[in-house]
Amino acid sequence: MRLSRLWLQDFRCYEAADVEFDEGCTVVTGANGQGKTSLLEAVAWVATGRSFRGVPDAALVAAGHDEAIVRAEVVDGERTMLVEAALRSVGRNRVLLNKQPVSRRRDYADHLRVTVFSPDDLAVVKGGPARRRDYLDELLEASGTKYVSVRTDFERVLRQRNALLRGGVRDAEARTTLDVLDDRLVTSGGELVRGRLRLVEELTPGIAEAYESLAGETPGMSMRYEAEWCEGVLEPTRLDDVDGLLRGALEALRRRETDRGITLVGPHRDDWRLVLNGLDARSHASQGEQRTLALALRLAGHRLIASIVGSDPVLLLDDVFSELDPARSAALVAHLPAAQTLLTTAGVVPPGIEAERHLTVHAGQVVSGPQAEQ
Amino acid sequence: MASFYEGPVQRLIDEFGRLPGIGPKSAQRIAYYLLKAAPEDARRLAASIVEVKEKISWCRRCFNIAEGEECAICRDTRRDSTVLCVVEEPRDIVAIERTQEFRGRYHVLQGTISPIEGVGPDQLRIKDLLHRIPEEGVEEVILATNPNTDGEVTAMYLAKVLTPLGLRVTRIASGLPVGGDLEYADEVTLGRALEGRRVVDG
Ligand SMILES: [Zn+2]
Repeated sequence: MRLSRLWLQDFRCYEAADVEFDEGCTVVTGANGQGKTSLLEAVAWVATGRSFRGVPDAALVAAGHDEAIVRAEVVDGERTMLVEAALRSVGRNRVLLNKQPVSRRRDYADHLRVTVFSPDDLAVVKGGPARRRDYLDELLEASGTKYVSVRTDFERVLRQRNALLRGGVRDAEARTTLDVLDDRLVTSGGELVRGRLRLVEELTPGIAEAYESLAGETPGMSMRYEAEWCEGVLEPTRLDDVDGLLRGALEALRRRETDRGITLVGPHRDDWRLVLNGLDARSHASQGEQRTLALALRLAGHRLIASIVGSDPVLLLDDVFSELDPARSAALVAHLPAAQTLLTTAGVVPPGIEAERHLTVHAGQVVSGPQAEQ
Repeated sequence: MASFYEGPVQRLIDEFGRLPGIGPKSAQRIAYYLLKAAPEDARRLAASIVEVKEKISWCRRCFNIAEGEECAICRDTRRDSTVLCVVEEPRDIVAIERTQEFRGRYHVLQGTISPIEGVGPDQLRIKDLLHRIPEEGVEEVILATNPNTDGEVTAMYLAKVLTPLGLRVTRIASGLPVGGDLEYADEVTLGRALEGRRVVDG
C-alpha cells in the first residue's frame, strides 16, 4: 500500500493543501515551525486515528475553526481508497471510507499503516513505562485490527472503573457495577497483556538484529515484561495464566483499590524492560546506545509489521537525522526498509537518500521543488 | 469565543453552541442562516421546538417518546407482552422496528451505566424495568444495548440483576460489529442479531 495524495483543510497551520506523493522517497524541506511535522502528523492520523505528537484531536483543528479535514488517497495494488476525516474541536469525528461513513476506528485501521521515526523516540528507551506501553500497543494495533477494539475497550473500562472507584463504592448497585467492570477488565486487559507478551517474544530477535546492523556490534539483548499485579516478571510462557492472575489480583487488591479510588490492577501499569548487556537500558546505557536502541526499536517494529501484514508500512522520518552523528546517520540510511518514505528536514538531506520528489513547506504552503537557496 | 454581536444575535449563537456536537463556528453559521431566512421559516422552527416540548413526553410504561401518556407500541394490544426488548434510547426502537423481526414490547433505559458522567444504575430506568417484569408477565428480556463498551457493561449489569428472577435473559450478538452502534447497523444484520440472540448468565 502507498499514499498517493493528501488534502488538508484547516489542519494545524494548513488552510488548504493538496500534495501528491510518489512510490519512493519524498523529501520535505522547510524552516522549523512552517508545518513539516504537521504534514507527517496528518498522514499518521489517517493510519492510527491519533496524533503521534500525543495531542488530542481538538489541537489539530486550526484556531477559530470547528473542524479540520484530512483526506488521503491510498493505493493498494489495483484498489484505490479514499479516507476522509473531519476532526472536530467539539463532538465526535466523522470518517468516510470511499464516501461511506464508518463509525469505528477499526473499520479504516488497515488501509494505511505507518512507521514514524521522530527525535522523540529516545523517550521510548529513556522515558517512563507509558512510552514503552504505547510502543507495544501501537504495534499491536498495526498487526491486527482486533487490537484496535481491544485497546479502545480496555481504556474505556479503565476510565469508567477509575471514575466509579473515585466516587466511592457504597451500595449494592455500585458493587455490582464494579463486579461487571472487573469482568470486562479481565477480558480486554487479559487480551492486551497476552498480545504484548507474544509481541515482545517476536520482537526481541529483530531488535537485537537491528541494533547490531546499526552499531556494528552484537549486543547482549534481553527483554522483561514486568507486571506489578503478578508480583514481578511475567514470562511469555504464562499466556494461559494471565486471566487467572488478573482476577486473583483484583480480588486481593479490591480493598486497596476502593480505599485509594484508583485501579491498581491491569496492563496500564506494566513496564517492558529493555536490558542491554545485563543492564537496564533506561538507566544504565550510554546516550549513544540509547539512540541506537531507539532506532532499532522502530526498525524492528517496522519489519515485524511488514512480515505480518505482507506489505511495508509507509516510513515517516520526522527530522531524525539532525539528532544523529554521521556514523549512525549513515548506518540508518543503509538499513532503511525499501518502503514509501516521507522525510522532513530543516537542513541537508543525508547522503544515500535518493529523493524522488522534493517539496518545500513555508507557512502552511506546500510547493513542489527543493528549498530555494538562501 | 468573545461576544462581538448585538444581544439577541449573541444569545442565539450561545443557545446553538450549547447543542450537542455544535462548535462555535457552526453555531454562528446557523444563526446567520436564520437571520437571513424568511420570517415564516424562523417562526415554523420556533413553533416546532415549542410544540415538541409541550406535546411530547416519555411513555410512562416504557420511556419511549410518546404523544400522550403511553407510546404507540405500548398502546398496541397485538404486541407480545411476554418478551421485552431493553434498549438505550428511543432511536434504537426505530432501528429495531425497521427490521420487522420483533413483535414484543420495549423498555428504554435512557442511557447507559457511565460513572464518568455520574450515571449509575439508579439514574437509568432500571427500577421501572424491575417493576414491569412481574406486572406484565414478562418471560424473556432481550438485552439490546449497543455492542460497545458502555452498552456491554450495562447489559452485563442487567444480566446479573435479572437472571436470579428466573427469566430467560438473552443478548443480541451475532454479526453486530463490536464497538459499534445499533443505529448504524443495517436491517438485515440487526434482524439476524435479534434472531441469533443467546442466553446470558448473570
Ligand atoms: Zn411505551
